[in-house]
Amino acid sequence: MAGIEKAGVLGAGVMGAGIAAHLANAGIPVVLLDIVPEGAADRNAIAAGALEKMKKAKPAPFMSAARARLVTPGNLEDHLELLADCDWIVEAVIERLDVKQAVYRKVDAVRKPGSIVSSNTSTIPISRLVEGLPEAFARDFLVTHFFNPPRYMRLLEIVAGTATRPDAVALLTGFADVRLGKSVVACKDTPGFIANRIGTYWIEAATKAAIEGGLTVEEADSVAGRPMGFPKTGIFGLLDLVGIDLGPHISASLLSTLPADDPYRDIAEDRPLLRKMIAEGYTGRKGKGGFYRLDKEGGRKTKLVIDLATGEYRPQVSTRLESVAAGAKDLRKLVEHPDRGGRFAWELLSRTLAYAASLVPAIADDVTAVDEAMRTGYAWRWGPFELLDRLGPAWFAGRLAAEGRPVPPLLAAVGEGTFYRVEGGKLQFFGTDGAYHDVVRPPGVLLLSDVKRAGPPVAKNASASLWDIGDGVLCLEFTSKSNSLDEAILRQLQKAMKLIENGKFRALVIHNEGTNFSVGANLGLALFAANIAMWPAIEALIAEGQRVYKALKYAPFPVVGAPSGMALGGGCEILLHCDAIQAHAESYIGLVEVGVGVIPGWGGCKEMLARWIANPKRPGGPMPPVAKVFEMISTAQVATSAEEAREALILRDGDGITMNRDRLLADAKARALALLEGGYRPPAEPVFQLPGATAKAALDLAVAGFRANGMATPHDVVVADKLARILSGGDTDVTDTLPEDELYRLEREAFLELVRHPATLARIEHMLATGKPLRN
Amino acid sequence: MPTYKAPLRDLRFVYYELFDAESLTALPGFEDAGGDLVMTAMEELAKICEEVIQPLNAPGDEEGCKFENGKVTSPKGFKEAYDLLAQGGWTSLICHPDYGGQGLPHHADIMAGEMLCASNLSFAMYQTLTSGAYLAIEHHASQELKNYYLPKLASGEWAGTMCLTEPQAGSDLGLVRMKAEPRGDGSFLLTGTKIFISAGEHDMTENIVHLVLARLPGAPAGTRGISLLIVPKMREEGGKLVLNGVTCGSIEHKMGIKASATCVMNFDGAVGHLVGEPHKGMKAMFTFMNAARLHVGIHGLALAEAARQGAVQFARERLQGRALTGAKYPELEADPILVHPDVRRMLLACRAFTEGARALTAWTTLAIVDAEHHPDPDRQQAGDDLASLLTPVVKAFQTDLGFETTNIALQVCGGYGFTRDYGMEQFVRDCRITPIYEGTNGIQALDLVGRKMPANFGRSLRRFFHPVAEFLAAEAGNERLKEFVEPLAKAFERLQRATGWLAEQSLKSRDEAGAAATDYLHLFGWVAFAFLWARMAKLALEKEGKGGKEDVLFYDAKVRTARFFFQRMLPRHSAHFAALLAGCASTMEFPDEAF
Repeated sequence: MAGIEKAGVLGAGVMGAGIAAHLANAGIPVVLLDIVPEGAADRNAIAAGALEKMKKAKPAPFMSAARARLVTPGNLEDHLELLADCDWIVEAVIERLDVKQAVYRKVDAVRKPGSIVSSNTSTIPISRLVEGLPEAFARDFLVTHFFNPPRYMRLLEIVAGTATRPDAVALLTGFADVRLGKSVVACKDTPGFIANRIGTYWIEAATKAAIEGGLTVEEADSVAGRPMGFPKTGIFGLLDLVGIDLGPHISASLLSTLPADDPYRDIAEDRPLLRKMIAEGYTGRKGKGGFYRLDKEGGRKTKLVIDLATGEYRPQVSTRLESVAAGAKDLRKLVEHPDRGGRFAWELLSRTLAYAASLVPAIADDVTAVDEAMRTGYAWRWGPFELLDRLGPAWFAGRLAAEGRPVPPLLAAVGEGTFYRVEGGKLQFFGTDGAYHDVVRPPGVLLLSDVKRAGPPVAKNASASLWDIGDGVLCLEFTSKSNSLDEAILRQLQKAMKLIENGKFRALVIHNEGTNFSVGANLGLALFAANIAMWPAIEALIAEGQRVYKALKYAPFPVVGAPSGMALGGGCEILLHCDAIQAHAESYIGLVEVGVGVIPGWGGCKEMLARWIANPKRPGGPMPPVAKVFEMISTAQVATSAEEAREALILRDGDGITMNRDRLLADAKARALALLEGGYRPPAEPVFQLPGATAKAALDLAVAGFRANGMATPHDVVVADKLARILSGGDTDVTDTLPEDELYRLEREAFLELVRHPATLARIEHMLATGKPLRN
Repeated sequence: MPTYKAPLRDLRFVYYELFDAESLTALPGFEDAGGDLVMTAMEELAKICEEVIQPLNAPGDEEGCKFENGKVTSPKGFKEAYDLLAQGGWTSLICHPDYGGQGLPHHADIMAGEMLCASNLSFAMYQTLTSGAYLAIEHHASQELKNYYLPKLASGEWAGTMCLTEPQAGSDLGLVRMKAEPRGDGSFLLTGTKIFISAGEHDMTENIVHLVLARLPGAPAGTRGISLLIVPKMREEGGKLVLNGVTCGSIEHKMGIKASATCVMNFDGAVGHLVGEPHKGMKAMFTFMNAARLHVGIHGLALAEAARQGAVQFARERLQGRALTGAKYPELEADPILVHPDVRRMLLACRAFTEGARALTAWTTLAIVDAEHHPDPDRQQAGDDLASLLTPVVKAFQTDLGFETTNIALQVCGGYGFTRDYGMEQFVRDCRITPIYEGTNGIQALDLVGRKMPANFGRSLRRFFHPVAEFLAAEAGNERLKEFVEPLAKAFERLQRATGWLAEQSLKSRDEAGAAATDYLHLFGWVAFAFLWARMAKLALEKEGKGGKEDVLFYDAKVRTARFFFQRMLPRHSAHFAALLAGCASTMEFPDEAF
């Protein structure tokens, strides 16, 4: 069987619909079927309704509006034949064995031989799912457990049954990894697999420890959140987010299948407070509120928090536990602290980590699978064994023993060592056989973090490093705070260019493994410089950025930008100057400078304009590209996926999208090598023919209209005026031609005027202080 | 003996020509407070200062305060002079009309302050502290407390103090131990000891209102657990004033300001009331402290002005030798020493300082008026930013240089200056406390670099740097102003570089900022003076030759003083620039045990 070209999803609930959308994101046509609702006029109402809902949902399940067209809604009675040519059919119906098996029988009647069928079950063992079904079906069957929401949560747990053919597992694993961008973790057929098994225990342990330790909700969340690398909402905030009513279902299902001596049974409790909250509709953010609630009485918003002892809401207070401050840098100091935060931290971590350690190898072959599952499925910054390494496994085991609690064999086995170590520049993990093994990445995965472990950088300064990623390719990594761009990064770029021009390397990739590629220039520095009126320094920085970016563009070697996460402002502009972009699918790219009262000054206006002028599909005349780019920049549009960035022409023909983040660097490097092999020649300098004053007048008029109907603020008008002057070409005329240097000059001029404006400085200050744009 | 002539012409120049205090009449409540009214009042007060208060200065110093059986007796004539001020309404210039005040803008108080302090700093202390207490109560206390206390403070019937320092808590107020126990009826009982309390006890008013920093039961440690309470010397019981358990334990014997009583104050179950919220006392106290710091900057200016006048008088009268280039006054037995270059250098240094300081004080004061009264929130914010930025500069730079100036003025008078009878040495002694109290100048420098500079990503700095940059840009082609603008531009550029350098260094090491702070503050002070001197020169050049004879002389002298400032004084900024850029290593790496 060649591959997966078409898919079916059965069940259009939250998970089914989300899985269908994500398959569409991968470019796969999907059939989405659900039952026929009783007495409905539209027999497809459930699936069709789910599709419509997804088009509007936030965060968006689809990576672009066009992707929604790949999903065909239908029903399980009339449209089963649509599954006949599907290569993969995912079942995501209600968690009832009889219902699932009935669906399988229907599917088995129409599916083509060798097609793969999988269940998204989170609770039912695979052995029971295939019980009584034909052997051929069992051979093609496995469990693919997605996490919600399927587009954004990276974990996919795959469980093979005893009958499942290995090539089906391999095929799906490869497909999920490369095409869906999932982090695939092979699980055993045990209750809750990996992530929910440990995650459920973790939540229960936290709830119990918080209530018994007399902590408030805020205190518990200030401990069991950021300090431990758990989601920053904290446990109770997380429960509000996922839905408080979900817990009892998963818990009940686990209790029905877990071994009799499983420690979860010791802590699982029916909590009257939670039962009451669910019964009264306080199920979290989707309901009337949860542990936290926003009270809007009397037009004033008050944040309320539930009192864990009385169940009454009271105003939220800020907490400042000494243990949290003490443990800010050292987790051990947190769990050793004598205050109730420290005691809670130890109670939670000692239980959860000991539980996780006791489950290997029962639920997973090794510790890496468990850590990967918790990182990508529960958004832990560190997996349980990484947390144990931070605490010191020997210390941890010692304290367990001192408290008369059992020490799991794996923890005892690691002794004075750690679960991970770096040996000979390679990351190794402690295996269940008592030996260390290299962490092996799948083919096509190149991680900068592995490169960094292997040896020293080629160069390093305060804000950027250069790494040799092999085959003559150099990688520039931003290392500044939030990967913000500054003078040191420009210097490092120049250094990279010099190294390549001197023949030490052949091509450059710009990439990093931060949450965001770069959120733009360092605004704090810029504001400080503006506040002390260092205009020459600001002008020099703008000019230097333009010079370096331009040099990058025309350098005699290929440059590939490889973003993931946000690439905003100056971070977007550097990509626009690369020869090619290889973007992670979850890239959010845009020129957002107007939000802080300036315009893109490092060639962003010019590059976007060049792209839209070069667009073969554009309408004729000089005005349409100017108007389009004006609209994008003046409204600070951000593409919410790489796919949307392609639609915005930030990505051009030939630019690539990588679904799996771990494969991004390898893909970018391959792209750079391909450009070299094709006999790389730098691009020709574009010449602009722009409409000049008449276009500016038209744009000004449009802005005046937005101002009149309240859609633009006074300072929006000021900024838009400067932007219109750049994009229309300044004092040019449509019969003249402009070199790109003139556009750089216009950007510089506008930037320097705007950065002196008090309203711009107020915007920057507000952004720095609150993270939100000021609408002045 | 030095005499004193209030610098009314220069005050009018800085407030109504250099700055536009007249525009304050556009602000609500100040409609009638035009320059004519304010300056007429100042002329009246000037007479009292020159004729009544200044003559008490030397005798007050000689006599000092007396402490007997818990009572403090002020020098002869002080009480009468104080009553004269109160009866004339001079204690309530900027108090709100609702509380019996005259509702004038803040700068009236500042001008009055300069004149009073120049005439007799010890005497002025009693009044300015009362005015500080008034402000803190007006801004932070409950309406009930305001109604009770403010009319008495405004009328001068009662006086005020601020009680911060304790033996173990000076610069570090987080160590304050004074206890305040709730009585259950909303009031508190205070127990503990305060030291160095100016005007803590005296015989000028029937009651003294103390603003006291204390800790409530269970208060957090450090400055986050300090509350502000109001504790009167006499509390009202059954319609009568009775003693409230606040007593003076002793008074300090000091180098200067001997007629100002500096008291040890014992609180023994004294009844007080909370001002503002519990544990938020430092915030409330900052209102008081900022006002007080500006006032101390004025102490430096005022004593320098008084000393300068004495030096000029001496240099005119003292005949010694002949001018180096031949006799200037051949009809006299010898030339007055005024002809000698070094004496002229000293007198001009004194003048350039006092006039510069007066302008900087005015700029800061008017920023405070904007902050408190301007209807436009942006202007309010800008005023508040500028005032908070300049306050430590005014306090520290004007007291460091003010002390230096009194010393230079004494030097002009030679051996006579050194004698007690001549009166010049009193200025030096009186001025020596000014770099110390209200937060030492080292603390001011830390406030500037550690708090004011980084606040809001440098927004406060903007209120200073942008006007200077705009002035430089606007006057870049002005040939007549070139001699002033060019050195200003150079010094300003260095200040920008030092500011950027400091901001960068502070991220790496707090010691770097700490070691550079005083040099930075002085660099800042010199540039601020240079900016104001350039503006004053521009204005004076525009008015050159206009007006009556007095005005012609005034503007001419202004331009010439500006020239002296730029050529002979501003170069001092570059020493501070070089020193701070050298970094903290030589300071911090010296072994503690080797000191």
